[in-house]
Amino acid sequence: MNNLPGGQNPGTLRKRLRVESFFKVLMAASALLVLVGLVLILAIILWKSLPALKLSMIIRNPGSGYYLGREGGILNAILGSLQVVFGATLLALAIALPAVVFLNSYLRRKSWLAELIRFSLDVLWGIPSIVYGAFGFLVMITFHLRASLLAGLITVAMVELPILSRALDETIKLVPPDLKETTYSLGASRWQTATRVVLRQTFPGLVTGVLMAMGRGLGDAAAVLFTAGYTDKITTSLLQPVATLPLAIFFQLNSPFPEVQQRAFASAAILTILILLISLASRSLSRRLSRHKIR
Amino acid sequence: MAIYRLSRKDRGPELATAPFAFFPIALTAVIFLALLIKSWPLLSLKSLSSLIFSTTWLPSRGHFGLWPFVLGTLWVTITAFLLAVPVSILTSLYLSEYAPARVRRVFQPVLDLLAGLPSVIYGMWGVLVVVPLVGKYLAPVFGHQSSGYSILAASLVLALMILPTIISVSVEVLNSVPLALKEAALSLGATRFEVIRYVVMKKSFPGILAACGLGLSRAFGETIAVLMVVGNVPVIPRSLFSPAYPLPALLANNYGEMMSIPGYESALNLAALLLLVIVVGFSLLARWYLVRISRRSG
Amino acid sequence: MNQPSRLRVENLNVFYGQNQVLKNISLALPDNRITVIIGPSGCGKTTLLKSLNRLLDEQEGVRVEGRVLLDGQDIYQPGADITLIRKRMGLLSQKPQVLPMSIYDNVAFGPRLLGLRDRRVLDGLVEKYLRLAGLWDEVKNRLQEPAARLSIGQQQRLCLARGLAVEPEVILGDEPTSALDPQSSRNVETQLLSLKENYTIVLVTHILRQAKRLADYVAFLYFGELIEFGPASEVLVSPRDSRTRAYITGEIS
Repeated sequence: MNNLPGGQNPGTLRKRLRVESFFKVLMAASALLVLVGLVLILAIILWKSLPALKLSMIIRNPGSGYYLGREGGILNAILGSLQVVFGATLLALAIALPAVVFLNSYLRRKSWLAELIRFSLDVLWGIPSIVYGAFGFLVMITFHLRASLLAGLITVAMVELPILSRALDETIKLVPPDLKETTYSLGASRWQTATRVVLRQTFPGLVTGVLMAMGRGLGDAAAVLFTAGYTDKITTSLLQPVATLPLAIFFQLNSPFPEVQQRAFASAAILTILILLISLASRSLSRRLSRHKIR
Repeated sequence: MAIYRLSRKDRGPELATAPFAFFPIALTAVIFLALLIKSWPLLSLKSLSSLIFSTTWLPSRGHFGLWPFVLGTLWVTITAFLLAVPVSILTSLYLSEYAPARVRRVFQPVLDLLAGLPSVIYGMWGVLVVVPLVGKYLAPVFGHQSSGYSILAASLVLALMILPTIISVSVEVLNSVPLALKEAALSLGATRFEVIRYVVMKKSFPGILAACGLGLSRAFGETIAVLMVVGNVPVIPRSLFSPAYPLPALLANNYGEMMSIPGYESALNLAALLLLVIVVGFSLLARWYLVRISRRSG
Repeated sequence: MNQPSRLRVENLNVFYGQNQVLKNISLALPDNRITVIIGPSGCGKTTLLKSLNRLLDEQEGVRVEGRVLLDGQDIYQPGADITLIRKRMGLLSQKPQVLPMSIYDNVAFGPRLLGLRDRRVLDGLVEKYLRLAGLWDEVKNRLQEPAARLSIGQQQRLCLARGLAVEPEVILGDEPTSALDPQSSRNVETQLLSLKENYTIVLVTHILRQAKRLADYVAFLYFGELIEFGPASEVLVSPRDSRTRAYITGEIS
């Protein structure tokens, strides 16, 4: 009855196990390589930034002669980045939220319109931020704006819009249909269902989506390169130019003065810490907010 | 869904939210049209193919050959992709199939943080570490002269940058392969690796492909990190150690400051349009492929 | 009990973290008979089944103490060849788990792993085991189609054929009919009954009527303990333990 080789043939089996151990070692090695490479990035940035990482970096604007290595900080860029990113995220959310509610509550899943909207979101998601930057610049000159907080935040909002919409769409898709049906059978309209039940159910997903979009917006240099301008002062109006952290890093790094270069490292460390805070916040918030979630 | 008829109180909200849902479609169209209109002055003078495939880039004399930039983009992106994909797949297989929980707990936050790290920081790291590494060590080993600002440096930086994204998504895909399916294959006497090779990889192939596509499209449009390490010389690249000038870098360095030279503005908008078309074409291709795959297995 | 048995469980304890799910189980599974493990859900039936071919190793945080002997060899002893152990025991899971490949390749998967490449021999094996699982006539003209296109009942019989194709000595079934319609369940049960001539079969089920239809021997598990084990005629008809009686009469489920 037993006409199979191998089971009785230790040679074949030994070869199979050798192949397995070979690939296992290869996999573990590449994982190690990745981990070392990534940790090295963080380590080198922190280490390089230490000499310049002083309190004055985050509580002062660039003073006169700052770019020659004299006293000052990058408060302007920190605040500017936050202004751009909060404005952009609000704007993007104001569009993404109703769009996704419409998409999921008033359109059938496979309707051509829903497909078209999702496809255009995919396309927008893939457009490089430098192209948004160029487009934002074209919009700007069409409306006779100059490089400003407003132009910058509009452009960053365009970058964030597909990220936000997609994150929202994905979480709303995961709402169990039973839950919707239960709400409908209580006599609720789709709008009531969407706003009172579905959005509450997806709130944790919404928060992580928003934080993710903020992280992207905060770090994006290409979108603000032509549209936000740069200033050494704190921006107080939508129509003034605004400084941003990625550009602060970029400009300072290109300086021939070692002191200024060091400040680029320090600025990078500050940006990294901001991103880290966002990612930590997103983790803990989504854990805390999912208490009411029905699984 | 279809069994519910819209109640009257739903008309208002439906009409109010509809325009927002059309916004993405409109935005896509407007971006495309705006760039097309802005590059029209040049397109009406010369044929598209002569602009794309010409190698002469001399804006002051009215020569706007984009080929060096297109090639630069392709070299950098493809090399980065080839560097990143095998490492990502091996790593995600390790993480999902072999790694103890302890290792996974270390990896997850690192991947999360680095997937969100701004590209300017990757670029800075490239300037600090990768450029000297390529210029002083790697290039001489392979018998090349290089300042270090090169395609290889840009590809290494990009590869590292897209690794966390590809790995996170792939691990998620791999984890969604049901345990029972793996058990079924193991029960036939397969080793873990054979289960991975014949079952897990096959089952998660579309998802891993999508993860790689995600990484590729991010690499395609990456601007600042590449710009900082690639050298920005508009020549036809000869090897991995020569500098290049990808399309996004061209835009970043010149856009907004090109008003004085006739045709220049138009050429740069054409470059942006080209970038857009490549990305859109790519996502169409990916979508078509995924639809085909899900149809065949479903 | 004087039934010969090559598969024995001795003092088996299984822990998930701090949680003990199997408590000191000892059991000799009779050769060429169907042994059915019954008990309320969550009492460790599936864990016991999976401990028999070391599938528990695939889950993290599981600790196994005690011995499982196959022909007198402890399968948990260090250096035991897991793939060989698993090859000797086929598994039918709750939901049919077809591999993402063609019907033919599903059946040929195991033999190919063992190094069989000859196409003619493979063709013969595929036909033989599809016949043995009662599926051949339904699929003989579409062997190259994806297995996922089969109906769920056909998929389960394909899994049976695939398991048989590595020539196991034991068949383990984890509620193998729970995802199937009555007609397909019937088919699978018929196959199992005809297979016990050549195989030792261990089934987990929570359907008492199925246990009555199939079982030669019955093991009753309750909160990780083996309460009663013996011939079906005794355990199902006149149980000795009050808990077994309560379960069989439907007082607890």
